[in-house]
Amino acid sequence: MGCQSSHPSAIPELDEIMLETGFSQASVVRLYDRFQALDKEQKGYLSKYDLQGIGELAVNPLGDRIINAFFKEGEDLTDFRSFIRVLAHFRPVEEGKSNETGRPEPMNSRLRKLQFAFQLYDQDSDGKISRDEMLQVLRLMVGIQVTDEQLVCIAERTIQEADQDGDGAISFEEFATSVEKLNVEQRMSLRLLK
Amino acid sequence: SHLKAGIAGSRGAPSLRALPFLFLVAALLGMLPLLHSHGLQSDPVMASEPPHHYPAVISGNEPGDITAAPLGVSQEISPLPNHSSPGHAKNRKAFPVLGIDYTHVRIPFEISLWILLACLMKLGFHVIPSVSSIVPESCLLIVVGLLVGGLIKGVGESPPILRSDIFFLFLLPPIILDAGYFLPLRQFTENLGTILIFAVVGTLWNAFFLGGLMYAVCQISGTGLNDIGLLANLLFGSIISAVDPVAVLAVFEEIHINELLHILVFGESLLNDAVTVVLYHLFEEFANFEQVTVTDIILGFLSFFVVSLGGVFVGVIYGVIAAFTSRFTSHIRVIEPLFVFLYSYMAYLSAELFHLSGIMALIASGVVMRPYVEANISHKSHTTIKYFLKMWSSVSETLIFIFLGVSTVAGRHYWNWTFIISTLIFCLIARVLGVLGLTWFINKFRIVKLTPKDQFIIAYGGLRGAIAFSLGYLLDYEHFGMRDMFLTAIITVIFFTVFVQGMTIRPLVDLLAVKKKQETKRSINEEIHTQFLDHLLTGIEDICGHYGHHHWKDKLNRFNKKYVKKCLIAGERSKEPQLIAFYHKMEMKQAIELVESGGLGKIPSAISTVSMQNINPKALPVKRILPALSKDKEEEIRKILRNNLQKTRQRLRSYNRHTLVADPYEEAWNQMLLRRQKARQLEQKINNYLTVPAHKLDSPTMSRARIGSDPLAYEPKSDSGNLPIITVDPASPQSPESVDLVNEELKGTSCLPPSPEEDEEGLVMRVKDPSSPGTDDVFTPGAGDSPSNQRIMRCLSDPGPQPEPEEGEPFIPKGK
Repeated sequence: MGCQSSHPSAIPELDEIMLETGFSQASVVRLYDRFQALDKEQKGYLSKYDLQGIGELAVNPLGDRIINAFFKEGEDLTDFRSFIRVLAHFRPVEEGKSNETGRPEPMNSRLRKLQFAFQLYDQDSDGKISRDEMLQVLRLMVGIQVTDEQLVCIAERTIQEADQDGDGAISFEEFATSVEKLNVEQRMSLRLLK
Repeated sequence: SHLKAGIAGSRGAPSLRALPFLFLVAALLGMLPLLHSHGLQSDPVMASEPPHHYPAVISGNEPGDITAAPLGVSQEISPLPNHSSPGHAKNRKAFPVLGIDYTHVRIPFEISLWILLACLMKLGFHVIPSVSSIVPESCLLIVVGLLVGGLIKGVGESPPILRSDIFFLFLLPPIILDAGYFLPLRQFTENLGTILIFAVVGTLWNAFFLGGLMYAVCQISGTGLNDIGLLANLLFGSIISAVDPVAVLAVFEEIHINELLHILVFGESLLNDAVTVVLYHLFEEFANFEQVTVTDIILGFLSFFVVSLGGVFVGVIYGVIAAFTSRFTSHIRVIEPLFVFLYSYMAYLSAELFHLSGIMALIASGVVMRPYVEANISHKSHTTIKYFLKMWSSVSETLIFIFLGVSTVAGRHYWNWTFIISTLIFCLIARVLGVLGLTWFINKFRIVKLTPKDQFIIAYGGLRGAIAFSLGYLLDYEHFGMRDMFLTAIITVIFFTVFVQGMTIRPLVDLLAVKKKQETKRSINEEIHTQFLDHLLTGIEDICGHYGHHHWKDKLNRFNKKYVKKCLIAGERSKEPQLIAFYHKMEMKQAIELVESGGLGKIPSAISTVSMQNINPKALPVKRILPALSKDKEEEIRKILRNNLQKTRQRLRSYNRHTLVADPYEEAWNQMLLRRQKARQLEQKINNYLTVPAHKLDSPTMSRARIGSDPLAYEPKSDSGNLPIITVDPASPQSPESVDLVNEELKGTSCLPPSPEEDEEGLVMRVKDPSSPGTDDVFTPGAGDSPSNQRIMRCLSDPGPQPEPEEGEPFIPKGK
């Protein structure tokens, strides 16, 4: 964690960030500290290299994909606003807040969380998880001991189970249906990010 | 349950049928005292053996119980000293052709009779569906116990009381082991904080609140209650405040409530054992001293940690030893379940030995040993463990409730309106306040908050049961003169919670529309996504620099994979990733379901199939139907078969858990697995090939053969991972998800006529003989004389005219 806490006034665009992400001021300050701690050269931006420097991410099977999720297509640097925008997806859902019509979908809603997860599967952003993409993910998670044949079987089986319109790939709706029972709101929330 | 549903149609007759049945059982029990008194008169020599040969397992040591009789008899022996001298010719009796010697078998006989009664009761309840849908089984069983107790008392004997040592040593462990072994670990660990707070703080609150208030009541009421000290009251409070796992299980099992609430209440009932043990011993020790110093309180705290953590530690040790043992049991599969039971029971006993929490030891050992043991043992052992645990815990539970009923009739009671009614009221109040207060505190830390509905169910589900009774029974009279009153109060509270709360919780659950359990099996999708999300969240936590729940879980998993699994799991399965293990388990389950539903026998005779199973030439027959091919194609097929069979055997051996003993059941599922894989692959190939421009060798049979042998072409590189090729089951109805496309294809082609004359050729297409629905061809070993089998053997043994090509060469060179 950062060695000293930043003053809220030091954070650019604090109010817009709070409005957009729904974080409390304390959370934004905490994340800003973390941002600065990661940004070792004090550039004001984070590069992929900075994020790769986090030791635990290196052993995470999905490490690279997660890092890439913070950066826009083709870009190499991310500023604090984009950084916190990604993390906003993992804010716990507030219970009891009715869906006010007219307001845009909050970033930590179930739909947004699912979309974020779907994005990580669907690398080529064609809106579907194809068999190859599923295979890639499986390969990442399972490691080297398993042969291709086995993984192909599993990937095909997975797609078969989820695929309802028979196009051989999992669309976002099918993905949402298959994770219905998984209680995504709870799983994809970090308590500290209130 | 399905029994209920099945019998629901004929309501009147079964209840009539059940009546004589129940009378028979009651009569059997009534016979007991008759047999006993008869047995005593049969052979005075036998009866004169010292009374401690009858360990009096069931009967208690209460005066006036059944074991008192032999004492009386042995006193009668003394006036007959000469009776036993052998060779005394004067009083020689005729040789007894038929005799009764009841005392010899008395103890096992009585035990068996009680267990039989319990099982028949369980059976009986399902025969009368209308009652069992309103009243939970536990209530019915208590009523039965009351009736039986009344019956025995009416006959003149004194009914046995549930002795504490029998309860704690024999009746309780199976239930706890069953719960611990099958504990849904994911939900448990996710809610561990909440559960611990409810168990520890909640029980403490209940005990002190109730004890304090009862002390106040005792002081105020004055009518003979004045002499019950504060500590005695606190002791009473600690006994009665613990939520009972047996009662909770019995009731919650029937209402199918959602998993979160179930695990919260149930987890609380399991983990509060440590608190109960500590409080009980603490207050019991000090109940007679009115002063409790600060040292004692500190020691109490320490004791709590020692008891709970010590219990867990003992359990973990035994769990690890059990897992390690199971690594070597591949040769003696039959005793594998016994290891699980014995190690767990030893863990329980060892913990009880040191006054640690036996329940926590049992749970810890079950939880620790389960993943490793399940990776090591055979499928049959797994089933055995499951069914034995369920059976024992079911019988135990039944016996406990029946004995509760009997003990109520048998025990001495002291009814004091003030004490008992106030106990009841304060119990309920304490529970409600405790839950409300704690939930308010816990909700600050939970992501998914507990709604008021949840809180109500948690509060309402705090049932008391036999543990409280047994603990109360353990109190001795010298220090606790008011023991009878305590026992009466305990029984009243138990009855109230079990009857009133147990009966009304089901309609309340429906009324409040509480979420019920979702009865679906976990799919591979969910498993993959769960792991995916776990990794994702761990990564995000790392980015935020936060060492949270996911971080530590990930660390534990990695430690587990790297070190622990290698030690405790035998062979190659130690490296098997969790996903693959899950996939295998799922496939196997489905394969077995398929087989059990008779799917194999249903292959329609009109449609020909091409199929090959795992060829283990010495064990199983192979019935297959193969396409008619020209001769050189046959050779190639033969070659490929041979090559890939070898590969299959090598490959499968690495995944086969017990290579030496070919368990036909397991072989069968391997085959099912392969079949379905190939069916799926076939569909995929069909998809590919139907769009590919027509190959030169284009007859339907050839294309079928080509497709069937496709994996070589599909995977041109020669890795050892080739599964056997010609395994195509296009028309088999048991692989539903695959292959409608292929069915269409085959149906469209002309059905080739059977040609049995071409036996010598080796590979012939023929119509499959319709097998009778019951027989699964996988399971009929030894039918090795079928012509197709012989053909296969010939095919395999024939070296072939050409030298074998190198492995991996495509079956039909592309573009030829």
